[in-house]
Amino acid sequence: MKPVATTRTSAGIQTGRLAVWWLLASEIVIFGGLLGSYIMHRIGHPEWADYASHTNTWIGAFNTFVLLSSSLSAVLAHYAAEQGQGKKAARYLLMTCGGGLVFLIVKSIEWTIEITHGFKITTNGFWGFYYVAAGIHASHVIVGMGVMLWVAWYAWNDRELQRVELVGIYWHFVDLVWIFLFPLLYIAK
Amino acid sequence: MAEHAHDAHDEHGHDDHGPRHYIKIYIALLVLLVISVAGPFLEIQVITLMTAFGIAVVKAFLVAKYFMHLDVQPKYVIYFLVTALAFMGLFFFGVAPDVLHHEGQNWVNVDARDEVSRQLSAQAHLAQFDCSAEEHPHVDVEPMEGVANAFHTHGCNADGYWECEDGSCEQLEAGAGVFIAQAAFVTTCGPCHGEGGAGDGAAAAALDPHPANFTDPAFWAQERVTHEHIVSVIADGGAANGRSALMAAFGEQFTEEQIEALATYIESLNPNAAQ
Repeated sequence: MKPVATTRTSAGIQTGRLAVWWLLASEIVIFGGLLGSYIMHRIGHPEWADYASHTNTWIGAFNTFVLLSSSLSAVLAHYAAEQGQGKKAARYLLMTCGGGLVFLIVKSIEWTIEITHGFKITTNGFWGFYYVAAGIHASHVIVGMGVMLWVAWYAWNDRELQRVELVGIYWHFVDLVWIFLFPLLYIAK
Repeated sequence: MAEHAHDAHDEHGHDDHGPRHYIKIYIALLVLLVISVAGPFLEIQVITLMTAFGIAVVKAFLVAKYFMHLDVQPKYVIYFLVTALAFMGLFFFGVAPDVLHHEGQNWVNVDARDEVSRQLSAQAHLAQFDCSAEEHPHVDVEPMEGVANAFHTHGCNADGYWECEDGSCEQLEAGAGVFIAQAAFVTTCGPCHGEGGAGDGAAAAALDPHPANFTDPAFWAQERVTHEHIVSVIADGGAANGRSALMAAFGEQFTEEQIEALATYIESLNPNAAQ
């Protein structure tokens, strides 16, 4: 028996997985509060539609595609881990990380263009929300990538394969938040 | 710990599981993405909102059910996630009525004021740009008889209209150094009242009450709307004249003669003016 009881089950679910779901419950409150605030301000300020028209739908759509693809590789990693194929799982996790990296590179190019065009975090309420919401989301991408590399390293050596699913659930949630950020920031204009 | 992973597999134990199935879900997600991007091209707002947010909910459902396997977790996992969502709803409906309200006691709508000043400075920037680019102002300035050429100023950058970056004057169509009421209206009043004076400027949506619409006969039907009243509102602002506090005072920006010219120009927007 391991001292860290992430794989024990006493409540019909692995403790590690239960912990991830609790983490996501707290994330729902974080992103929910942020997006809820954005929505009420967006409704209260019709002029924000003008500001939103400066965001680039194609860049947003491309990044949505990237995250959806990375979610696919994350779930394929989970499947490989279930089959006991640690190396395959690790490769899929690396692909997922690659997706995260592409997402961040595109995001940084997008932000650079916007900031040099004068759309800064202090420009007005819309751009304030835009950078805060996308920034907190991007920081989740970065943290997820770090954890995923660590899990992939273990998986490569056929160790702790149950973690592949856990980091995958987190990654899907980050994808899910973007699924809502995309229409809010890029489509509703 | 591969055997534990296998346990997890057994826990799921159903057929919608496997690479082929995941790829099907992925393709469905991509199709939904394409629809949500295509929706706004129809330029019908209801459809845009439905394709944007309706599809987001469907996509979220697919990811949660098939990628996160939420459906095979113990029931209480769903209960506490729903509880978190309920708190989000509680926050939204508890706070939104206040945030969405645009007036109140002991309170100034700073946001609306900021919006007005942002639009004013955006216009000033535009005017500056046009001038330095050696182009005529982007607005079609038509000299108005008795108004446009009536008041001479000390140079084209004297009173906050077509200001040249290097301080030199461009020869405008209507003649340099001439106060053009229409141009001044477009730059200074346009951000809120609209370039044509219909109360539909860029900042208008943010303002409650809305800026006056000078093309609406109902505006001119008000008893208090006289030439003197208009002059007074321009010079001293709305609050001093029983109108919206968001109407700024321009007494320092324009001379008395220029304000007279602006008021005359505004009166020319009255659709019944000819009668």
